Amino acid sequence: MKSVLTGLRAWTVQRVSAAYLLFFLLFALAWVAVHHPMSEAQWRAWVTSGGMREATMLFFAALLAHMWVGLRDVVLDYVKPLLVRTAVLGVLALGLAALGSWTALILIRA
Amino acid sequence: MQFLIYRYDPQSGARPHMQAYDLAPGHGEHMLLDALIRLHEQDDSLAFRRSCREGVCGSDAMNINGRNGLACVTPLASLKEPVTLRPLPSFPVIRDLVVDMTRFFRHYHAIRPYVVDDDPPPERERLQTPAERAELDGLYECILCACCTGFCPSYWWNPERYLGPAALLQAMRFIADSRDHATGERLEFLDDAYRLFRCRSIMNCTEVCPKGLNPNRAIDRIRMRMLKHEV
Amino acid sequence: MNARSDAPRFLNLFQIRFPVGAICSIGHRVSGVILAAAVPLVVYALDRSLAGPQAYARLAAALATAAGKTAVVVLAWALAHHALAGIRHVLKDVDVGASLGTARRSAWLVLAVGGIIALATAVLVA
Repeated sequence: MKSVLTGLRAWTVQRVSAAYLLFFLLFALAWVAVHHPMSEAQWRAWVTSGGMREATMLFFAALLAHMWVGLRDVVLDYVKPLLVRTAVLGVLALGLAALGSWTALILIRA
Repeated sequence: MQFLIYRYDPQSGARPHMQAYDLAPGHGEHMLLDALIRLHEQDDSLAFRRSCREGVCGSDAMNINGRNGLACVTPLASLKEPVTLRPLPSFPVIRDLVVDMTRFFRHYHAIRPYVVDDDPPPERERLQTPAERAELDGLYECILCACCTGFCPSYWWNPERYLGPAALLQAMRFIADSRDHATGERLEFLDDAYRLFRCRSIMNCTEVCPKGLNPNRAIDRIRMRMLKHEV
Repeated sequence: MNARSDAPRFLNLFQIRFPVGAICSIGHRVSGVILAAAVPLVVYALDRSLAGPQAYARLAAALATAAGKTAVVVLAWALAHHALAGIRHVLKDVDVGASLGTARRSAWLVLAVGGIIALATAVLVA
């Protein structure tokens, strides 16, 4: 993963994902604000509506990529011993993968 | 004036400590370096580097009241007392305010700080248009004093592999040079996890550059050049 | 001249005076880590919100507690600061606001607006 997502490529992923995260969040927050207070049925209908489910999945995919680049930067700065660093990055990658699968499951089942 | 100066003597084996000094600056002594030279007359064990004493050689970079700067161009009148002097942050200390610059210059050499052009030399010099020459403004003036690199948190955490703002400003200086034929190689060299991309655009470098240069902007420009190079 | 291999280094962060840009930058990192730490909670909340009317009501009740409201305010600050500092970085990438004076002002602005959004959120949920 390190060789795939490093240098300029990681930097680009960070910027592109950030742009999508920002637009999705602004849209979602505005929608929630307009429809406040929202019933459970309304919320479910919105999240599972055509396009919204896919857009939300894409949001979490972008979020996980953005988190990997950012958290890896934090680890590279502060965690020095190579063995510990590799372990922390490994746990981080596994955690993000698990988080991604869980989110996908939630959205597919909903 | 009250001074508080970082002292370290490698022979004594003692840990570094802060020593207080008191000094009345004499007539015509306006700069911090003038005061340091006077203090050195009182106590000749006090070690610091200086040469040109006018902001050109870049020898007397140090941490002055918590910010890096050159002693020779820092007016005494601008400083709060006690004037606290420490060596450049994160650099190995040789003695008092004198630090080891070996790694700093190794990073400088790594970016190949010279025009690369394997073509046979022309009859006369390699010419540039005035516009091409203007591309080097804001880049060539660096005096390699290390104020910026010694103030960069990214360099503090990864001094072995991150090149630091001074070396990267120089990298841009040669990328921008119309006579250089190695732009692609230079950009590819910098495209890894550490050499350039540890920069988080904190801009501490630009804050403390005694020549008023903007190393962070040079780094941003390199990233944009990389992006264009890639496409 | 080389230093001894065991040479001391001065790096006491409390004795270094950080410019406003550095404060804004460390805020970007801290807010990013807070947001990342909150993502599992957000995913759990998403799960509960889609697990039927009862689970949805319980989630809404949890968010209305003092702890829930505090979490919302902290996340609002983190999100606002992180997004604004990020926008500042992207503008700097394309050479907008890259000069020292503008960058200092935009750093102050990001810190201030982040604080205002956190305060506004606190008022809103209180």
